[in-house]
Amino acid sequence: MNDSASPTAIDIAGLGYAYSKADAVHDLTLHVQRGRCYGLFGRNGAGKTTTMRCVLNLLRPQRGSIRVFGMDPAQQEVEVKRRIAFVPDAVAFYPWMTVRETLDYLASFRSRWNRATERDLLGRFRLDLSQKTGALSKGQRTQVALVAAICPEPELLLLDEPTSGLDPIVRREFIQTVIGAYQDADPGNRTVLVSTHLISEFEGLIDEFTIMDGGRGVLTLDADHARERYRRIRARFSRAMPAHDFAGALRVHRTERDLDIVTAGDGDRLLADVQRLSPEWCQAEALSLEEVFVATLS
Amino acid sequence: MLFQINFKSAKPVYLQLVDQVKSAAAAGLLRAGDALPSIRPLSEELRVNRNTVAKAYGQLESEGIIETQPGRGCFVRAAQSPLRKDARRKLLVAEIDDVIVQAHHLQVSAAELLDLVRERFDALATRQSSHADKQGTR
Repeated sequence: MNDSASPTAIDIAGLGYAYSKADAVHDLTLHVQRGRCYGLFGRNGAGKTTTMRCVLNLLRPQRGSIRVFGMDPAQQEVEVKRRIAFVPDAVAFYPWMTVRETLDYLASFRSRWNRATERDLLGRFRLDLSQKTGALSKGQRTQVALVAAICPEPELLLLDEPTSGLDPIVRREFIQTVIGAYQDADPGNRTVLVSTHLISEFEGLIDEFTIMDGGRGVLTLDADHARERYRRIRARFSRAMPAHDFAGALRVHRTERDLDIVTAGDGDRLLADVQRLSPEWCQAEALSLEEVFVATLS
Repeated sequence: MLFQINFKSAKPVYLQLVDQVKSAAAAGLLRAGDALPSIRPLSEELRVNRNTVAKAYGQLESEGIIETQPGRGCFVRAAQSPLRKDARRKLLVAEIDDVIVQAHHLQVSAAELLDLVRERFDALATRQSSHADKQGTR
């Protein structure tokens, strides 16, 4: 099956891959809908990069299957690669080429290259076209790689830890800029799969995510649903808190007068429980995606 | 900034934006014919995915709050809800129930709550008229 009619950009079913004895990825299943920004979250070594490499056909899955736009990336390699772009975590260019020469060289492999997008992003990043790529900082090299990835207007953009090792103040802004520019035209056909352990930088950008741990997918959720489901309830009591069993809470932390509960799905019931104990102050708020990540893995 | 997103709220981000456009329209900060910011700059400003802004605008359009003029952008429509009156009332009832539950937990009595509602009506009316004055002298 090959078709632009395929409603999904990526389908991974029962994926398994091992470098030696230990599985790097074990029985991973996930589906990325077209037009969405999908996060693959996990600590270093969780299996994110191995998964990306299987999608790119840089590694052959040992178990399970991968389809990109309904096609097998091993069987229809050219057709798949024509439609995707990939930015690895460590970007390498020919150091003797200037930024201009590098972009022209990369453009020569592509049937399309959006010059207006290129101009726009080069201006925003204030990249000097005449500079040799060998003289660029790591952040600037990543910027060049991101520009080169989106100018061909791929239907799928794969980003592997795009912000790690970069200046914390600029990195969030430029990932926002790049994804914004990428999805500006034809958003229904602009899909992003991004792997990262720096989750807070992608808060707001991610539509849906899978948390990986030890090669397995441990949680897949829509970002809006995550905020609805995962809540933190905090309360303070005027005197020692009555004994109470907060059954169903993910985590309960209490001192004599303070209570701090994290819940998944049982927020309303637990909040009512807490309020029945008549706290002098009580607050419930959604967990950020990073807090969901921490709560899931601990 | 007219709109602000709170990631600590359990309310989905797109709905936060929908509600803020509605309340800005109700408060007269956005008037019929006013343009809403286009999707890309707004998503960059709010630091959210463009899909989120597009989803919010889509919902506002289906509720008849805004309209899209192809090639020009999104504009606030004159306040005419396409929903029938009982449907509109039903939407409000759910919100009111939430407020009543919240008031109960905060130990605010029914009488106090009703006073507060009246007070907020007045505050909004004041804001609306002072905004209208400003527009008039522009």
